[in-house]
Amino acid sequence: MEKQILIKNGIRNDGRGILDLRPIKITAGVLKKADGSAMIEWGKNKILAAVYGPREAFPKHAANPNRANVNCKYSMAPFSSLEEHGRSGPNRRAIEIGKVAKHVFENVILTNQFPKTQIDISIEILQSDGGTRIAGITAAAVALADAGIPMKDLVQGVSVGKVDGQLVVDVDKIEDNLGTSDIPVIVSLRTNEILLFQLDGMLEKKEIETAIDYSFEAAKAVRALQIEALKNKYVVEESG
Amino acid sequence: MSEISVPGDLLFEDARRLDGAYVLGNQTIASVICVKSEDRVVPLKGKYLPIIDDYVVGIISEQRFSGYTIDLNSPYEGQLSTRESRESFKIGDVVSALIQEVDEVNEPMLIEPRKLSGGRLIEIDAVKVPRVIGRNSSMVSMIEKYAKTKLFVGKNGRIYIREGNVELAIAAILKIQKEAHTQGLTDRVEAFLEFEAGKA
Repeated sequence: MEKQILIKNGIRNDGRGILDLRPIKITAGVLKKADGSAMIEWGKNKILAAVYGPREAFPKHAANPNRANVNCKYSMAPFSSLEEHGRSGPNRRAIEIGKVAKHVFENVILTNQFPKTQIDISIEILQSDGGTRIAGITAAAVALADAGIPMKDLVQGVSVGKVDGQLVVDVDKIEDNLGTSDIPVIVSLRTNEILLFQLDGMLEKKEIETAIDYSFEAAKAVRALQIEALKNKYVVEESG
Repeated sequence: MSEISVPGDLLFEDARRLDGAYVLGNQTIASVICVKSEDRVVPLKGKYLPIIDDYVVGIISEQRFSGYTIDLNSPYEGQLSTRESRESFKIGDVVSALIQEVDEVNEPMLIEPRKLSGGRLIEIDAVKVPRVIGRNSSMVSMIEKYAKTKLFVGKNGRIYIREGNVELAIAAILKIQKEAHTQGLTDRVEAFLEFEAGKA
């Protein structure tokens, strides 16, 4: 197969620059029955996040008398992607992403305020185009804030990848499949902590440092959109 | 001027112990979505956590030899001992009760149970209860005056409405819940009640 050129004169295959994000739209409170919810449209990704709880822990023996349990489920709809996804049940990849997302939220939710309870987070990918885990966690953070669950910070992230030997911000599906590496990063801007860091492929130490700088820079733009989404929910109510 | 803050937003440059905030270093940071106006921080959403001396409205969910378990619209269920009441209750009964004690895992013990009947029960967000009550319970008396109803407002966000124009009282309470974070709410609710009560 002929090698595809993905970056030409600093312009990527979809017309973005090296450091540009895809268009992002976040809406908070889209589900009436959930305690908190959010919908994110990140480029061609379309993701729904719902939060239930804190509620009584189930099964009861799993209840922790010191803090709340956080459960997180990531799931891809069978119609979410170009390729055949087959049956939609949890697979190896979905379980892994659910686990890393759970660790992100365990570190930001003030779980000690709700002993013996659980908080359930669902991330449903309706349409996927690369970078769904960071988009899903970004949406889930908005859903948690919408649910009024106390957190240290509103978390967000971006995936940085290496395409055609160059570091780019927010890789889409083509760049992810044909690029050399890809790093999803979730950060907390309040404490400057990295809450999730995964790496596919190989990078030099210096490149990783640059990638982290890029993701903190991009996270600021994503955070502004998250805040706007949460505020919009209350502005609409005021005028209506 | 009041503004909406989200988790992680800086509220105050000094350390303060507040509901809906936490202290990081020497700063106070918001932990929930809230409205900050001068020195006050009012959360916009959140579940009810039992606090001693709160009056709550519960629904009997379990009956045992020694007492009852009561659902409180909260992650935590209340316990009521049979010793506290001469009345006996059935599952599904709506009762008002006082929280006598809360243990280290937030589980409340209830006393002074009273059965509520002949009315309607509605649920609102627990953080909006202070708005429904109003300063010196001004809002509650206003609704009672215009709709000619009797209200029992539980701190857990359950409100029991009896007699009079129940529909009007519910509409007013839902309006308060929806606009709780805005200013000049009392006047708008009064205008709403006056208009709607005049129609009937």
